[in-house]
Amino acid sequence: MMEWLLSFIQSWFAELTGLVNQGSKRVFVGYLLSAAIIAVVWLMWQRRLNFLSALGWLFQRKLWWSHSSRSDYQLMVLNQAVMLLLSPLLLSKLALATALFYGLNDWISRPLWSSEISVFWTSVLFTSCLFVVDDASRYYLHRLMHRWPALWAFHRVHHTAQSLTPFTVLRTHPVEGVLFGLRSAIVQGLLIGLFVFVFGDRVTLLSLLGANVFTAVLNILGSNLRHSPVPFSYGKTLESWLISPAQHQIHHSQASAHWDKNFGVFIALWDRMGNTLEYGSNTQQLTYGLPDQKLNEHQLVTLYWQPFKSCWRCFQRSKPGPISQTQQMRHDK
Amino acid sequence: MNKTLLSIVVGASIALSAQTHAAVYADFPVTVKNYTGDKIHSESFAGQMARHNLHNSVKKLVSKGASLEQTSAYFNGKAAGRAIINPVSKDGFPVLQTQVDELSAGKNLSGKAYKGLITGMPGGLTGAELLELMMVKAAQTESGFDPLTGYDYTQLISKFTMGAVFYNQAVDSYLDEKLAADTKPNNKAYKDGAAYTGKEHVWDEAFGYFGAPAHTLELTAEDVYLIAKQKPEGFAKADYNGDGKVSLVTEMAYAHAYYAAAFDKGGKTQYLHTIVQAFVDGRNLISSANGEALTDAQRSELMGYAKVIKVQWQRLIAEAVFKYAGSVYGDLEKLETIIEANGDAVKAYRSYAKHWGELKGFALALEAGGVNLGETGVKMNRLLGYSPVLLGNTQVVALVNGEFVQSSSVSLSEYRVHMIKVQKLMIDAFGVEARSKDVTANLAELVDALGDALAAEND
Repeated sequence: MMEWLLSFIQSWFAELTGLVNQGSKRVFVGYLLSAAIIAVVWLMWQRRLNFLSALGWLFQRKLWWSHSSRSDYQLMVLNQAVMLLLSPLLLSKLALATALFYGLNDWISRPLWSSEISVFWTSVLFTSCLFVVDDASRYYLHRLMHRWPALWAFHRVHHTAQSLTPFTVLRTHPVEGVLFGLRSAIVQGLLIGLFVFVFGDRVTLLSLLGANVFTAVLNILGSNLRHSPVPFSYGKTLESWLISPAQHQIHHSQASAHWDKNFGVFIALWDRMGNTLEYGSNTQQLTYGLPDQKLNEHQLVTLYWQPFKSCWRCFQRSKPGPISQTQQMRHDK
Repeated sequence: MNKTLLSIVVGASIALSAQTHAAVYADFPVTVKNYTGDKIHSESFAGQMARHNLHNSVKKLVSKGASLEQTSAYFNGKAAGRAIINPVSKDGFPVLQTQVDELSAGKNLSGKAYKGLITGMPGGLTGAELLELMMVKAAQTESGFDPLTGYDYTQLISKFTMGAVFYNQAVDSYLDEKLAADTKPNNKAYKDGAAYTGKEHVWDEAFGYFGAPAHTLELTAEDVYLIAKQKPEGFAKADYNGDGKVSLVTEMAYAHAYYAAAFDKGGKTQYLHTIVQAFVDGRNLISSANGEALTDAQRSELMGYAKVIKVQWQRLIAEAVFKYAGSVYGDLEKLETIIEANGDAVKAYRSYAKHWGELKGFALALEAGGVNLGETGVKMNRLLGYSPVLLGNTQVVALVNGEFVQSSSVSLSEYRVHMIKVQKLMIDAFGVEARSKDVTANLAELVDALGDALAAEND
């Protein structure tokens, strides 16, 4: 038991350090640094601040040590342990990929044209497909999390953040963590199985810093500003294709006009198709969090336990259940 | 005080000597009651090592396009004066013996080949008959390869001999019925005047057929691999007694022990050491009976070691089937591309046939273990067929009047899929773990490249 505990604590610590030293994670120190540089330059350019003032504004204590941010950190640390415990129960990407690979081989024969595509272009195709399908599935699941009351009960935890820092990306209820893990396993498992079936061992992932090259480049270009007080807008033209930090901040806005907008992660196309795209502005001033938020919603116990209660109420017919943000919005209209 | 110190020293020396003794398959005492000869050690497996050398030599001869007379001299013959064709001394790796008789006189391979039915090839032949047929057919080719059937006889004969002789003799005879209480008992000499008891020699013969150096437990898998390959850097590891030459009886690596080392050096398995440890433990147990009949408890313990050896040995052969199914898969991918582009497929076809010969030879070997493989055997044989699928989508379907007959078959592409299924079968039926040339390896690599989703990141 003691041995298990020690090894568990070691793994937990490794997961935590992995968050900042692995390029596959959003809060990788390199991405944080590049985001900080972009933020400082943006503040000096847009807000006419000098370098030191920009730094001071960016690293203000009331942002990084607010009640909301401190609960982000607590969730981040504890979630790694919870996810570690749950990981053996999660759907294995490899099992899914292998099952599909064997299944496809049983049902159909590999198209002969596949061998005519070079290793490089095969990998470009694989990496691009992975990025696009992954992004689309994130949009769709995120949209569902807002629309289904039972899922909103858990996703609400993320939206109770009243100050946004890059670590808010990890302000997630473990149930949502499991759902996102499941989504990732399904999308990546199926695509890997399919591509290896079609292209054999000529498929490789084009990677940078140990992550999909597209994801890594976009992370270097400041994805971490999505959860930050810096309303960096790309302008309407680019924002029709790529979700800017300012657009994601709108997604976190307390104003009901902004609810259910900008579900996308990187690609804006899905929001355009779903009529949920809202353009950002460099001058936008937003209040984050939820209007019906209670005072105790930054307490760890509430953050973990309340969603289960709310979710349970969704399935009890005798009592009025919680409603999703989407339902609230429709009701208000 | 002095007494205590003395007892510690004596105790430590005994422990050390026991440890040394246990690590090497050598220097076992003579326990036969009333033994009058001059031997001081009882282990004896030179006959098996002679057969390993006969096998290596046959393989070499077939690959060089030798006549039936030449190959038969090693396969069927027992005549004196046969030179060892392989292994021979190489620069940096001199071997001690040059004649088969220096190891053991009057030995052949055919006499020990499996007499049970082999269903993986047509004609309803026994293992021994199939090997005889292959020897005849091989002699009719230029260098052991028949392009019309795709049979690489060098590989087929070699890999199947390893199964039908070495594996079969060890697991189906010595570690099976000859471990029975009333067969080759331990309270009698194996034969009149022998320095070893019945059970000692039965166990030694099984060990010999595995083909491992006696000091394997003091070596790494990598060492044993280098020794079998006669690499100069493996010489010092092989020359355990330091006489400047490698003894082909006790210091060389052959056959399945070589394959065990090859898989184990990948780091995922421990076939070599697990099997040799079980042999050493079993031999120590028999020696400890000191020439008395084994008790039920001792025999039961011995059967436990035998079971470990049998399970591991079978899985090790399944690993080879897995590996070569992967090689054939790769060959078929190349062939399909070449054919699609109207390229020259001669070289790729040769490589395909070679790997198929290895694959089939090991698959047939699995049939020679004396256990009914049941559905697994049927599936394996149906997936592989009687020959590789040839470029015109034909395959050997029968043996009529001593000739292999072909008929239309699945396409190369469909046959390639069979290889995936063969690999899956080896995982499901035998639990292979080394998994060389895994056709699904890229799946795992890509999954690793993408990392886990444990971070619980939101959007």
